[in-house]
Amino acid sequence: MKRAKGLSLILAGIFLAGGCTSNDTASKPAENEKDPNKKYTVTAIDFRFGDPPPKDGAGLKMINEKFNVDYQVQFVPQADYQEKLSAVVASGDVPDMVGFEAVDTRFAKWAGQGAFLPLDEYIGKYETLKNVPDHIWQSMKVNGKIYGIPTYYPEADLTPIIRKDWLDKLGLKMPKNYEELKAVALAFTKNDPDGNGKNDTYGFAMGEKINPDFDMGAYWNAESWLHKDKDGKYIPGMISDARKEMIQFFADLYKEKAITQDYAVLTWPDTNKEFFSGKAGIFVGAPRGMSEPYYAGLLELQPNAEFAPLYPFADPDGNTGYTATSGYGGITAISADLAKDPGKIKKILEMMEFGRTFYPREQRTPENKEFDWWWGNEGKGYTMQDGTAVLDPNFATEGKTPSTYYVDNAMWPPNEDVNEFYKDYKNEKVSKLAKELEEMHKSTKHYMNPVNGLVSETAQQKKEEFDQFLFDEQAKMIAGQRPVSEWDKMVEEFLNMGGQKMIEEYNSQIKGGEHWK
Amino acid sequence: MHHRSIPDRILEGFNMLALLLIGFVMIFPFLYIFTVSFSSLSDFLNNDFLLWPKQWVTDAYEYILSSQNFLRSLGVTVFITIAGTIVNLFFTATMAYALARPIAGQRFFILFVLFTILFSAGMIPTYLVVKATGLLNSIWSLIIPVAISPFYLIVMRQFFLNIPEELHDAALIDGANEGQVFWKIVLPLSKPALAAFGLFYAVMHWNNYFTGILYLNDPSLWPIQVVLRQIVVINEPNSALGSTAAMLESPPPPETIQMAAILLATLPILLVYPFLQKHFAKGVMLGSVKG
Repeated sequence: MKRAKGLSLILAGIFLAGGCTSNDTASKPAENEKDPNKKYTVTAIDFRFGDPPPKDGAGLKMINEKFNVDYQVQFVPQADYQEKLSAVVASGDVPDMVGFEAVDTRFAKWAGQGAFLPLDEYIGKYETLKNVPDHIWQSMKVNGKIYGIPTYYPEADLTPIIRKDWLDKLGLKMPKNYEELKAVALAFTKNDPDGNGKNDTYGFAMGEKINPDFDMGAYWNAESWLHKDKDGKYIPGMISDARKEMIQFFADLYKEKAITQDYAVLTWPDTNKEFFSGKAGIFVGAPRGMSEPYYAGLLELQPNAEFAPLYPFADPDGNTGYTATSGYGGITAISADLAKDPGKIKKILEMMEFGRTFYPREQRTPENKEFDWWWGNEGKGYTMQDGTAVLDPNFATEGKTPSTYYVDNAMWPPNEDVNEFYKDYKNEKVSKLAKELEEMHKSTKHYMNPVNGLVSETAQQKKEEFDQFLFDEQAKMIAGQRPVSEWDKMVEEFLNMGGQKMIEEYNSQIKGGEHWK
Repeated sequence: MHHRSIPDRILEGFNMLALLLIGFVMIFPFLYIFTVSFSSLSDFLNNDFLLWPKQWVTDAYEYILSSQNFLRSLGVTVFITIAGTIVNLFFTATMAYALARPIAGQRFFILFVLFTILFSAGMIPTYLVVKATGLLNSIWSLIIPVAISPFYLIVMRQFFLNIPEELHDAALIDGANEGQVFWKIVLPLSKPALAAFGLFYAVMHWNNYFTGILYLNDPSLWPIQVVLRQIVVINEPNSALGSTAAMLESPPPPETIQMAAILLATLPILLVYPFLQKHFAKGVMLGSVKG
């Protein structure tokens, strides 16, 4: 008994000793809040798709020097971010800055519970915050207050592109409606557009989950809430009559082998391969983020390949335009603990403002001191090639630039038209395609999905289950295993699964007004 | 072995065929990965199917080995695997042996262990314990919390119970104390069990992915599986949030690089198997006790 007591004391000692090594991030009340030289410790947590920068990169040191802070940021691979964030927050250490992917249940719940700082009073004080369109600020609201700063993301979504050289070879015009598109897809399948004498080409490159969905406008888009049911409530595109037409359209083409035949089991990289190996003639592209190595591979196989965007078709309502993305690629929330330290809030917003400042392309040069610092100084973080600043290939993995350590490191442009993403591509043909895509987006309208930024409890819990069910049933219809005439039955099943509840939840929050922009 | 009957030989032939076929099915995916990793991307894109590289290209390997991250993480994983397995075997064997001896409170402790098999605390409570013990952001957070697998402990105890009591008694008569009996008699006799569980533990550490991300904030401490996932698994589009950001922000690296990464990250642990093979041999205990 005595021995056991001693042992438990030793154990307790070990536990207590261990407790001292954890980071003590509680901000002490400032002795003198007016002191501009006070060195703040700023903590942050965020997700990364790629490799996170190291703990001691040059970029981090530059941030600490410039802003006189001790900046401690940790990046988590995107796939596991939600779980890690839950654990970190549950352990009572909310970092000063917290990144979110979108307005999800966690963001809404924690903001509602007062974990974050309301930011409404700061919006008017910073240039880049003024650039954010109102509809995006609306998305950032929980219980009427703004709790997050959105990270810029282009409104141009992935939209259909087509092999222009195949069209030309077969003497076809750009399709203007689904009938013509169908004819083109069939011609790509049957008339040997690559002229190799083999029957080895077809129309649409498609993969699992009927992706891409080749909607030629928001009216046909599966994710857009544009259609209404008989009670005048918005419904998801997935169950609209337009979607039914699309499925019929795909089913007809599938029979004719004009769609990837094993699409139901193809992953996204495999779907890419169908197009970039020169087999399929219709795929998707966007002004930003297309993969040059993939295009280079295709151009190696078929040097004459030409690409062009497909313009959206006019829909029965008389609108022509694709659905826009939500317009933001992430959210930064600030811990509510900072409410008692206005100096620190100012410091953080100042740091963020620096990272969100937009420089037109001609100002992205070493002469621009701010930009030069942001990209880690010429010769270290980036080099000038033909008058364009090009980031060092290892800038992120080696932490060479301040930008890579930022939670929000996307410039927020004054408007969508000044991005000129096409200048980011070295390959002439890819650059041309990106330019044409940008022009297309400039010259057409866009549909703002009314459910952006709204939180539906049911959707958070069951959206994946709903999608799984609808994609499965629709895939059966495309493959001819279930008649399209059973569409209404499928919709009924979906509504009974909880779909109706999701529709109610969203509709109670959807604001009126014009969603086309 | 000579003069076998015809049916015997037919049966043997069938067995051989079946086993060869099964072996091929096992090896084939590796062969495919190996082939793709040494092929050029255009060869890969041009052919529906490759069984052997058309031309040997080592670009993918050069790309991976040029990145600090991959090699460093491989080093981290090797350390976790070796140190972790030693810790696992030491604590599992000592506790299992103690529970295999007639001691006071034995039943209570065994039930205690069984309880942890049936009920686990869950992620967040475990995280809180790791945090409170100051293991957060230390490599030991991947080793100490999983020092003993309760299931392996029970099985190992069973193994120790099967060692004849007479050996124990004989050793005591020869002047050994309990500790020496354990170190010099029991452990050497238990090589098959130690090898088997050592392998299980090692593979567990080698494949560790999630707790690495959960407990370690410093990317330079992440195990190889994390880096591998970054290279191989791309973020699925159509997530619950319907964001295409994942698709656009990180286009998947070419398959050749993915395959090379898989091969490099899997090979070391595969190489452990042949060396442990000999310990699985039976009959160590034969003849130790004359009946």
